[in-house]
This record gives sequence, C-alpha cells and structure tokens, in this order.
Amino acid sequence: MNARDAIFARIRQTLQTTDASAMETHLARHARGPLPTLSADLVTRFRECATRLESTVAGPLTAAEVPAAIARYLDEQKLPRRVVSWPGMASFDWKSAGVEIETRPARGDDLIGVTGVFCGIAETGTLMLLSGAQTPPTVSLLPETHIALLPVARIVAHMEDGFDLLRKEHGSVPRAINFVSGPSRTADIEQTVTLGAHGPYRVLIILTTG
Amino acid sequence: MRVGLFVTCLVDLMRPRIGFAALKLLRAAGADVVVPRAQTCCGQPGYNAGDNAGARNLALKLAREFADCDYVVTPSGSCAGMIRVHYPALFREDAHAGDIGRLAEKTCELTDFLARVARLERVPGDFTGTLAYHDSCSGLRELGVKTQPRALLARMPGVRLIEMAESETCCGFGGTFSVKFGDIATRMADNKCQNIKASGADAVAAGDLGCLLHIEGRLRRLGDTQTRVLHVAEVLAGATEN
Amino acid sequence: MQVASGRFKQRAHDGLENPVLRNALLKSQGKFVVTRQQAFDELGNLGELRAAAAAVRDHTLERLDTYLTRFETEVRKAGGEVLWAQTAEDVQRLLHDICARHGVRLAVKSKSMVTEECEVNQALETAGIEVVETDLGEYILQLANEPPSHIVAPVVHKTKEEVAALFERHHGRPRLHDIPALCREAREVLRPKFLAADLGISGANFIIAETGTALIVTNEGNGRLATTLPRVHVAITGIEKVVPTLEDAALLLRLLTRSATGQPITNYVSLLTGPKRASDPDGPEHFYVILVDNGRSKLLGGELQPILRCIRCGACMNHCPVYQNVGGHAYGWVYPGPMGAVLTPSFVGLENARDLPDASTLCGACAAVCPVNIPLPDMLRQLRVQRMEKRLRPWTERAALKLWSWLAARPHIYGIATALAARLLHCFGGKTGLLHRLPFASGWTDGRDLPAPQGHTFRELYKQERQT
Repeated sequence: MNARDAIFARIRQTLQTTDASAMETHLARHARGPLPTLSADLVTRFRECATRLESTVAGPLTAAEVPAAIARYLDEQKLPRRVVSWPGMASFDWKSAGVEIETRPARGDDLIGVTGVFCGIAETGTLMLLSGAQTPPTVSLLPETHIALLPVARIVAHMEDGFDLLRKEHGSVPRAINFVSGPSRTADIEQTVTLGAHGPYRVLIILTTG
Repeated sequence: MRVGLFVTCLVDLMRPRIGFAALKLLRAAGADVVVPRAQTCCGQPGYNAGDNAGARNLALKLAREFADCDYVVTPSGSCAGMIRVHYPALFREDAHAGDIGRLAEKTCELTDFLARVARLERVPGDFTGTLAYHDSCSGLRELGVKTQPRALLARMPGVRLIEMAESETCCGFGGTFSVKFGDIATRMADNKCQNIKASGADAVAAGDLGCLLHIEGRLRRLGDTQTRVLHVAEVLAGATEN
Repeated sequence: MQVASGRFKQRAHDGLENPVLRNALLKSQGKFVVTRQQAFDELGNLGELRAAAAAVRDHTLERLDTYLTRFETEVRKAGGEVLWAQTAEDVQRLLHDICARHGVRLAVKSKSMVTEECEVNQALETAGIEVVETDLGEYILQLANEPPSHIVAPVVHKTKEEVAALFERHHGRPRLHDIPALCREAREVLRPKFLAADLGISGANFIIAETGTALIVTNEGNGRLATTLPRVHVAITGIEKVVPTLEDAALLLRLLTRSATGQPITNYVSLLTGPKRASDPDGPEHFYVILVDNGRSKLLGGELQPILRCIRCGACMNHCPVYQNVGGHAYGWVYPGPMGAVLTPSFVGLENARDLPDASTLCGACAAVCPVNIPLPDMLRQLRVQRMEKRLRPWTERAALKLWSWLAARPHIYGIATALAARLLHCFGGKTGLLHRLPFASGWTDGRDLPAPQGHTFRELYKQERQT
C-alpha cells in the first residue's frame, strides 16, 4: 500500500461518516465567521489601521496628481526618482514629474516598486494583491520601498469581502494572493520589533479617486 | 437549607482550623450544616495521576455521603472543581451519570457559596491589616471564583485588599507536581513570593490549602517569618490564631 | 530532530539554572501576554470566535478524508501536485526525488515546524544540497546549530549579544551592537540566497480545500520570497491543517495572529495556488504540497483528537508558567509547552516522553487562552491515564496511589492513619511549626519548608466538639 492509501485507510477507520454531502454544503455556503463591527466610514478605518501598521497613507489624489506626489515622497525620503512598476502604470505622466519608470517584474537591486492593488481591507488596513501578467508580485516585494495606489472605491470592509470580489471579478484564484499590511518586520531578536526584514522597509499607500 | 461540608483531606490532616472556620461561616449564613463522618478524599490525587478507576470509587462514595444535602460546600477550589467539573467527565454515559450530575450541580466552593448562594452580609471575622489575594487555579478557571472572596473581604472593615501582580498565575503547587518537579515548583513559588513581597501586604490569602502550604513553605525557607499565609475562610471567620 | 523528551526533568533543571534564558523569557512573556490581551480586548467577541473556530476545525477533522481529497483535486487542477508522507523518512525521500528531478543545489526555507519534525535540513544536506533558513530566528538557530525553543519565536532564548557574536563569527563582518543593524546584515546576507535558490521550502499554516491553496503567514517577507523566486516551491504541512473555504481561513487567521503575537494580521498573508500560470511573469514553475501524517491520523477518533485542532499560535506556551520558567528546550523535541506536552508523546511514543504529561500543574492557563478551545489539561490527564494503563510509572508511585485509594475508601482506618500522621508530623515540626526535611518527600523540602499539621485531624476535633 502506498503512503496515500495507508493514510486514507487509517483516517477512514476512525471516521463516523464518508458522506461528502456535508462538505459540499459547507463549501457552497462560504459562511463567514463572526466579524468585528466596523464604523460606516471604511476609508477612515483603512487609513487608521494602515497607519498603525506603519504604512504611510496619502491622498485621496486624482490619478493626474499621483506622479508628482510620488516624486515629492521620494525626495523627502532622499530616494532616487527611479522606480519599477506594474505595466498598467506606464500611462501616467511620469515624465513631467521627473520620475524614471520601468514596467517589469522587480529584480533584487530595485529600490522602489510602484503597484496597484486588487482592493484594500478596512478591518486591518491591508492591501490585497493578486499575481498575474499585469501584476507581478515581485514589484511589491523585492524593493526597499513599496508604493501602492489604492482607489478609495476599492476599499472593502473585511478579507471575506475581498474574497467575494475575487470570485465575482475573476471566478477563480490566481497563483498568489498576497495580503500586505505594512512594511516587513521581525521581532525575532529579543521580541523587539524592527521594520524592514526581507521585504520593503517602507510602504506608501496613495489613495486615489476617479 | 441543608448544607454538607466537605472538609477535604488536606484540611482534615494539616489545618482543621479551616474546616471549623468554614463551619462557622456556613452557620453564620443561616445554613443547617452537616459534616458526614465517613468523608475522606474527593479522589483528585488519583484522577490527576491517571487512576480513573480509583477516582470513580471515591466519587461514588462521596456522592452517597452527601446524597441528602441541598448543597455540598468545600473550602477548596480544586476539590470543588474536581466534583463539579471532573466527576461528570468520569461518569459520562454511565449508569451513575444522573447521581453524579446532581452532586456536581449542588457543589460549591466556599466563598462562591457564601457570596453568591447564601449572600452572607455580616462577615464575622475581625482581621485587621493589608491582604493580597492569590487566585488559586482551579477555583478561578474551572469555577469562576474571582470576585466572590473579594466581595466578602470587602465587607470586613479592617481588611485592606491589595491586588498583587500576577495574582492569577499558578503558585507551582499542582499536587504531586510540587514533589515530582520540586525545582520548577520552587521557582514558580519564588515568583509568587516576589509578587507578595512587592505588594507590601501583611498577609496573603487564598482559597486552597495546597497553595498556602506551598507559598508559606517557600516564604519561610527564604527567611520570611512575617508575612502571614491564611486561608480565606480563616480570615472571614476570624479564626486566624493558632 | 532527535527526541530528548525522556530527559525533561534534567533539561528543565538546566533551563532553571540558566540566567540568560530566564531573562529572555521574562522579557518576552510580558510582551506576548500583554499584546495578545490588548488585541482581543480591541476585537471583542473572542468567545464567539473561538467557538466558531473550534467548530470549523472539528467539522473538517470529522471529514478529513473528503476534505483532503478535495484539496488534492484542486491542487492538481491548478497544475500542482500533492504528495503524501506517512513518516519523516517519507518526507525526506520525496524531497530527495524532487531535488533530483529539478536539479536543485540550493534551497531556501521559510519557517516550518513540520520540517523540524521531519529533519528536512539534515536530510537535504546529506544529499549535498545547501539549505538556508531565512526566517531571522531560524537562520540564527541554523548558525548556532540549535533547535528552536518556541514555535512562533524560535530564538526567544537568545540575547542580541549572542546573536551579534554569531553573526560576527559566521559573516566575517565587524561586530554589530543594535538590533536593526543585525537585521539589515541578515537581509544583506540572505538576499543573494533567495535570488540564487532553485527550491523554496515553506510550511503552510492552513491548506484550503475549496481552492487547493497553501496559506502562509509571515512578518519578514521571507515566506513570500521563498515561494516566489525559486523555480520550485514545496509546501510541507500536516494533514490536519486543511480548512474548507477561504472564509474559514479568514476566521482562523483572526485568531491565529492575535493569539501568536497580538497582531491583528501578520504583515504578509500569502495564499498560493499552483505554479505560475502561462502568462505570469514571475512565480515558481513547479508547485508541490507534501502532506505529512507522522502520527496525526492515529489521534483521530480518540480522546486526544481535539489536539488536532491546534493552529500553532504558541499562546499556550506564552501563558504556561512551567514553560516560562524552564524554556522550550526542556521539552526535548520540536513542540514545547502544553501543546508540545500533548503532541510529543503522541508522535514519538509515550514511552519516549513519559514525563511530559506531568510537565504541568494543570493550572488551566493554557486552555483559557487557546483560540480553538483545546482542553489541554484534560488532554494531559488523558495521557496520564494511558501511561497508567501501560504501567509506565514506577511501581512505588503506583503503589502509593493504590494505598491512598484503598485508605480513602475505608474511613475508619483512614481516620486512624491520618490522626497518627498529624500527630507525628506535628511533633517533628517542633516550636517553629515547620518541617525542614522529609525523608520521603525531599522533592518538596529541598526547596521549601512544610508547615506542620496542627496536631489533630478535623475528624478528631469535630468528634470531640460534638461530644461536649
């Protein structure tokens, strides 16, 4: 007997039922567990929670204002005005803001990555990103600075709402769903929180409208 | 109201004063108290060592002895927890489940009974001084004994209750644990003793004699002959003298 | 990992005598306990959440075969492969096969307790493959050649000075003095490893049947890097980690991160389903999930089944006064603290961990914080029952218990025996009323005095009172 059969044989010995209908019912319902109640204003909630997780939240800005705002942020942080971004971002007017841009997956030595998001989760101030041809995950991961553009209309209350949106708009799950909640951190040494472990040191979220 | 007092084996052997204090308090609360003669041990030592058969024997014995009582009250959170919580687990789907269930339901830890059931208003004790309260584990986590002793102590004008740090952390007694892993138990007692000392209280009180022997044993070994270590029944009944 | 759980007593003693460990534990415990409490105070409805979480776990465990089958089907649909391992050796063999098939020379690992359980690093290294731990804590332990002492904070027993010394020795760079600098150095050393690795090995906090997804929580981002950059990703986890839906995973996450570190959510929660798609510019080309039994299925249907609900948050150890004084290494295997004291005997055999069920005062602090309502003290008691049935305690202890039960069932003799004992011990106590030495209970008197009995038993005094 191979390992798989042996494991299943042992499991089935102990189980009361092999009827799959309870599973099918459960899977079909997508029932949510108890949810915390949020105040009606999801944008405020998102902003507060993201800020608490050490993300910087800016905006809301119009799409046209974004390149200049990014340029200002990079100057403030004394970072070069050279970014790598998702393909969809090429259409912004980066030139007049004085920002150099390359649209491609990120490499190990890129300093700044600019991405969009699938949606924002107000409950925890979290970004939900999906992998895909136009949305390579490395851009939000390898650079030391991650800048994310989040349309305020795409802020939902809970992670569960993000999943619903995913089912509605994509039907199936992509290779990777990444929930990002602030800069990477570690507390492994003496339980002292330190920002910037293996991922970004800083996350700037720019809320956008229109 | 017919109340059976379950003295507990530890109080019987080590500090009968606590049993008499409980008796006095129950009477003060207007109970008609009986003390079944043949009572011995609730079976917890065997139960916690994995000897369920031995524990079941003693559970049935106890159930018989207290069958005609409206309540069973005991000055110990861990013995009350044994009867209320663990007896039913020992007799699940069993011919005795009914009897054991009734026993469990009518069993109370002493301060829980006095504060919640009997609503004792006039506490007879006359203790004067500052007191830190150690929340013994079984009483606290199995029975929810937390506010009851404090409410009763608050009715004593001479008592000033001080909340010490980590009052809900185990003192390290744990029955045979205290002997089997003496060094770990001692370290846990050290933490408790430090918190007692830091509270500056004249005395520490608790609802379980096991914890008290453990805490007092460590305090004395560390050279502290001052801090008094009292059962809450002793304090409430005014039976703190030798 | 070598099982040293049979020597809990000695190892616990070593832990107690280690002042560095003591300091480290004191510091960390405060943080864990306080932040967890704050996180749940803010969230509210903890009781409701725990009940719902426990119900989902039970529902799944009771239908483990159908859920695992569904998971396997969905992984396959997404282009991945599920492999099954009955034992640690199976896991090692499967990994060897994968490495050979894909020409793997360098593997990066994200933190995983199951891989500790299965001695994955040693097995790969024997096969000539370089394995690099990338979670900062695990990386430090790999340099120090030590096992983790906590399932969430593996290096909780080390100070920053110890870490600095290790880094200086292994990195050949000047000695650093502050924690952020140490973290940056680790990042700089490990980044090239991520970029060069052929294989990424991760655990999975949950696997989701509905979608065939492995869910991984990390704070450092190493989990994301290890599962995005290398050509091959292998997620290794226990068969009990399956949950039905994305929603169920979200429910458990709310409890997991708050229970573990007091965070409302970890920095990264990654849901990984299959290898990179045809149009994806990045991601691994091959995706495997190794599902490990290694003793888990034995627990199904038995008294210990509730321990399979465990989501490895570590709250039980953070709140266990025994763990907090002896440290994780005392438990002698992968899983320490209360959950470890239940799991270890179940996985490695009660006879190899016979003291662990006793490594608790049954104070109940663990059960009070467990996010999936595992009655840990009851589980420990259950193991004690098994141990009694297997006669795994010394005959002296069994005899003493028998004698006590026998006596307690005979009130008359009991009364005489206790009266005698009370008298005797009272006399030994002398004027101080304290016993400093007891020949048969030196375990007590080595560290504490025993307040002597009053001299007469309650039953004697009560009888007198009734007669007068």
